[in-house]
Amino acid sequence: MIKAAPMRALLLLGPLLVFLGLFFVWPLVTVIAQSVSDPSVSRVLNRTAAAIDGWDGTGVPSAEVQAAFRADVVANTDDMAMGDVTRRLNATKSGFRSLMGKTVSAVKEDPDIDLARIDDRWTDTAYWQAIQDNASPYTDAFLLAALDLERDKSGNIAAMPEGTSANATILLRTLWTAGVVTFCCLVIGLPYAMIAASVQGWKRSVLLGAVLLPLWTSLLVRTAAWMIILQDNGIINQALMGLGVISQPLALIYNRFGVVLAMTHVLLPFMVLPIYSVLLTVPGNLMNAAASLGAHPVRAFLRVLLPLSFRGVVSGTLLVFMAAIGYYITPALLGGASDQMLSSVIAFYATGSANWSMAAALGLILLVLTLILYAVYNRLSRDPVEAR
Amino acid sequence: MSGAFISFQDATKDYGSVRVVENLNLDIARGEFVSLLGPSGSGKTTLLMMLAGFESVSGGTITLDGKVINDLPTYKRDMGVVFQNYALFPHMTVARNVAFPLEMRGEAKAVTAAKVKKALDMVQLGQLADRLPGQLSGGQQQRVALARALVFEPRVVLMDEPLGALDKQLREQMQLDIRELHHRLGLTVIFVTHDQDEALTMSDRIAIFNHGKIQQCAAPREVYDHPANRFVAEFIGETNLLDCKVSENAGETFSVTLDDGSVVAAHGLPGLVAGDRALLSLRPERIEILPAETDATATGQNRLAGEILDTIYQGDHLRVVIETAVGQIIARTDRKAQEWPVRARVMLTFRAADGWVIAP
Amino acid sequence: MMAMSLFKSVYATLIVGFLVAPLLVVLPLAFTSGAFLTYPIPSYSFRWFSELVENTVWSRAILNSLLIAGSTTVVATLLGTLAALGLRARNLVLSSQIRTLFLLPMVVPAVVLGVGMQALFVRFGINSTYLSVIVAHSVIAIPFVVISVSGALGGIDRRVERAAESLGARPHKVFFLVTLPLAMPGVASGAALAFATSLDEVVLTLFVAGPNQRTLARQMFSTLRENISPAIASAAFVIIVGTILVALLLLLMRRRSA
Repeated sequence: MIKAAPMRALLLLGPLLVFLGLFFVWPLVTVIAQSVSDPSVSRVLNRTAAAIDGWDGTGVPSAEVQAAFRADVVANTDDMAMGDVTRRLNATKSGFRSLMGKTVSAVKEDPDIDLARIDDRWTDTAYWQAIQDNASPYTDAFLLAALDLERDKSGNIAAMPEGTSANATILLRTLWTAGVVTFCCLVIGLPYAMIAASVQGWKRSVLLGAVLLPLWTSLLVRTAAWMIILQDNGIINQALMGLGVISQPLALIYNRFGVVLAMTHVLLPFMVLPIYSVLLTVPGNLMNAAASLGAHPVRAFLRVLLPLSFRGVVSGTLLVFMAAIGYYITPALLGGASDQMLSSVIAFYATGSANWSMAAALGLILLVLTLILYAVYNRLSRDPVEAR
Repeated sequence: MSGAFISFQDATKDYGSVRVVENLNLDIARGEFVSLLGPSGSGKTTLLMMLAGFESVSGGTITLDGKVINDLPTYKRDMGVVFQNYALFPHMTVARNVAFPLEMRGEAKAVTAAKVKKALDMVQLGQLADRLPGQLSGGQQQRVALARALVFEPRVVLMDEPLGALDKQLREQMQLDIRELHHRLGLTVIFVTHDQDEALTMSDRIAIFNHGKIQQCAAPREVYDHPANRFVAEFIGETNLLDCKVSENAGETFSVTLDDGSVVAAHGLPGLVAGDRALLSLRPERIEILPAETDATATGQNRLAGEILDTIYQGDHLRVVIETAVGQIIARTDRKAQEWPVRARVMLTFRAADGWVIAP
Repeated sequence: MMAMSLFKSVYATLIVGFLVAPLLVVLPLAFTSGAFLTYPIPSYSFRWFSELVENTVWSRAILNSLLIAGSTTVVATLLGTLAALGLRARNLVLSSQIRTLFLLPMVVPAVVLGVGMQALFVRFGINSTYLSVIVAHSVIAIPFVVISVSGALGGIDRRVERAAESLGARPHKVFFLVTLPLAMPGVASGAALAFATSLDEVVLTLFVAGPNQRTLARQMFSTLRENISPAIASAAFVIIVGTILVALLLLLMRRRSA
C-alpha cells in the first residue's frame, strides 16, 4: 500500500503529463525551433550543405563539393524554392541572382560541366563563402529581426536601416501600453482593495461581487460592451452631444484610449484580488494600534497599511503586466492600426503573411518575457518571508 | 511473548535520517487499557499510527494475536481508531457514519441497522441518527466517532488524543464514559494523550515516552510513586529533586547523604550502589511541615531544617516554599493546616517510603 | 473622518459602476428591434434572438461551441482531476515543478501557443478539425481544473480517509466513498470553469479551427471586427445568462454538500 503510492501517483499524473507534453510543450518547442530555423537553403542544397561543412574557407571548395552542388541543382524541381535560395544568397553576396540563373540552366544542360567554365565568379571564394554561411538550417536572423537588428556583411550585429522594420517599435509600444494599463489598475485597484478590506457585511459582498462578476463574464462580452459604449454613436458620445458639450462625436474607439480603458476594466480584478487577500491577513486593529501610539491616520496608512499591502501590490502588478503584454483580443477589436500590440503582430505574421519564422521569433520574445515575469511572481507568492 | 495480545519488538520508525521511534518493546494484554503518554514529538502518536497501519514500520516487528502485522494493510487490521478531530465523514449522516464499517464488512442490512441503533444508544445519540456531523457539538461528534470505532467489535481500539478538543468538564465526563465502556465491553484500548491526569485516571498501565523511547511502562501508582528515572519523576506530577550520594543500599532501603552532609533513609531503584551520585525525589504532598523545635527523631522519620519563604493559597491546598540547606523545597499541605508566617523556622519530615532514589 | 468615509463611499460606488455598468449596458440591447447596437432602443423584440437561431452561421456556431466546450469539459476535467489526485501523493519528486507545468498554460500568451499548435497540428494532419480545437481548449482549461480540484482535495482532512481505511475500507472504497464525494464541489467548479474557458476562447480557435469549427466566440469576434450587429448583444446575453446559471448551479451544489 505505502510502497505502491509513488507508482499510483505516476499513473494519475501520467495522462496529463503526456497530454501537456504533446499539446503544450511540443507546440512551444516548435515555436522555439521555428524561430531559429531557416531551412530554405539547406533543404534545396542539402548535398552541398553536407559537403561544404568541411571546407576551410580558403580558395575554392573541392571537386566533391562542386559535384554535390551540381547534383543539388539537377535534382531540384521546385523553381520557387530555388528562387528562395537565390534571394537568400543574393542578400549575403550580391551578384548571385545572375550567377544562379546562368548556372542552373547550364548545369541542367550538362550535369558534369565545370562550374568555373560557366562563370569565373565560381572561382571567387566569397561566393562559396556565402553558400557555406547560409547552409546551416539554423539562423539567428529572425530573432535579430524581431528586435530590428541584422547581421551586416561581415557578420556583426547591427541595427537595421531606419524605417525597414517596426518590430522594436511594436515591442516598446506593447511594454508601454501594458505599463499604462498596469498603472491605471494600480491607481484604481489599490484604494478599492483597501476599501473592500475595511468594510464588512453586504458592503464587502457588493464590492467583491463587482470585481468577481467581470472575472466570470466572457472577455469577449466585456470587450463588445466597451465597443458599444465607446462607438461614435454609443451612449457616451450621445450623452455628451445631447448635453451640448460637444458637437462632433469624440473618437473614443479604435485608438489608444479605448484599448487602455477596456484593458484596465478587464484586468482590474487581477490587481484588486491579490491586494485584497493580503490585506485580509492584516489584523483589523493594527490601524487602531498605530493611532493609539500617536500616529496620524495618513501617517499610519503610509507607515503601516501600505507596507503590509506591498506584497499584494507586487503580485497584482506582475499579474496585470504579464497578462497585458500578451493581450490580443481587446487591442485587436478596440485599437486602431497604430495600437496593435505584439500578439496582433505575431498573429499577422502567422496567419496573414505566413511568415512562420518571424511569428515564432516574436512569439519567443513574448514567451520569454512572460515566463520571466511569471517566475518572479511565483517566487514572491511562494516565499512570503523573503518578499517582505 | 505468549501472553501478549499486541507486541512491539524492537519497533523502529525513521523519517529520513530522523529516528522517531527507537527499538521499542512493549507487550499489551487482551482487555488492557494502556495509555501512551509523553510530550509532543516523543513518538507516541507515531507508534499508534504504526499499529493502525498508517505508518510503515522501518524496523522490528509488530504482532497482533501472535501474527506479524507489519505489512498488513490498515483495512484488514480490524482496529477501531478514534482521532483527535473525530474524522467523521462530513458528507454522511451520523447513522451512515456508524454503519460504514459494517457495510465494509458486508453485513446484512437488517443486522447493520440493529447494530447501528445499539451503538448509538450506547453513546446516547439515538435521536441524532439522521443529522450530519457538522450539525453536532464537539462532544456529540466525539461520541459518534466512538460508536463508529466500536460498532464492528474491533480487536483493538486505538485513540489518538480523542478528548483533546473538548472543554475540561466534557473531557472529564468522557474519560469516565470511556473507562466504563472499557470495563463493560472488555475492550483492549491503546490511548495516546499528553495529559497526565487523563492517563492516570483511565489506564491500567501508562507507557511514558520521550525521544522515541519508552521511559517506563507501569501502573499509574507505580509510575507516580516509583519513577524509573528523572524524566518520569519530573513529567508525572510535581516533585523535589535533591542531589545526593548513595551511602548504603540494603535491598530496597537506601541511606543517602545530601549535599549538606545530612543522611536520610529512602527507598529507591535497585542497581544504585554505595558511592553513586543520585537524586532523591520527594513528592510535595508527602512532606510534613512541623515547628522547628519538634523532636522528630522519635518517629524515625527523616528531617530537614528550613525557613518558610512563601505560602500560596491554591483553593484545595496550600503550596509552601521552604528554603533549606539543600535548596528550595516545595511542600503541599492541607488547606486547613496551619499557615506559616514568612521566615518562620520549620522542620520538614518524610518517611523513608516516601523518598525515592533514582539515577541522576 | 466624515469626509474620509464620504470619499470612500463615492469612490467605491464609482468603481463598482465602472466594473458593472458595461455589462448592464449590453443586456437591454439584446432585445432591440433596431438594426444597430445603439441607444435609445426603438422598441423591444426577440428579433436578434431569432437571428441567432435561424441564421445558420450563428446557430452552427452555437452548436459548435456546445459540442467543443462539452468535450473540452470532459477531457480537461478527467485529466485535471486525475492529476490533482496524483499531486497529493506524499514525497512526490519534483512535485512543485510538475504543479508549475500544469499551471503554465494559463500563463503562456495564447497567441504564442496558437502559433505553435497550428504548426504542430498541421504536421500531424489534424489542424482545422474538431479534435484540434478540443485539444487546444483542453490545454488552457486544464489549469482551472487542477487548481480547483487541488483546492478541494487540500481541504480534505487526511484523517478522514485514514478513518475510513481503519474501518475496513479498501483503497478504492476510500476513494469512491470518501475522497471523491468530498472533492466533488471542486471537480464541479473545475468543470464549470473549463466549460466557460472553452466557451470564451478565441485566440487558439483562430489558429487551430477551420471554417467548420467556427465557435460562438469566434463568430462574435469576427462580427465585432466587421459589422457590429445586435446579434452580438443577443449572443452576449446568452453567454451571460449561461454563466450565471452555471454559477448558481455550483452555489446550489456547494450549499447542499456543506
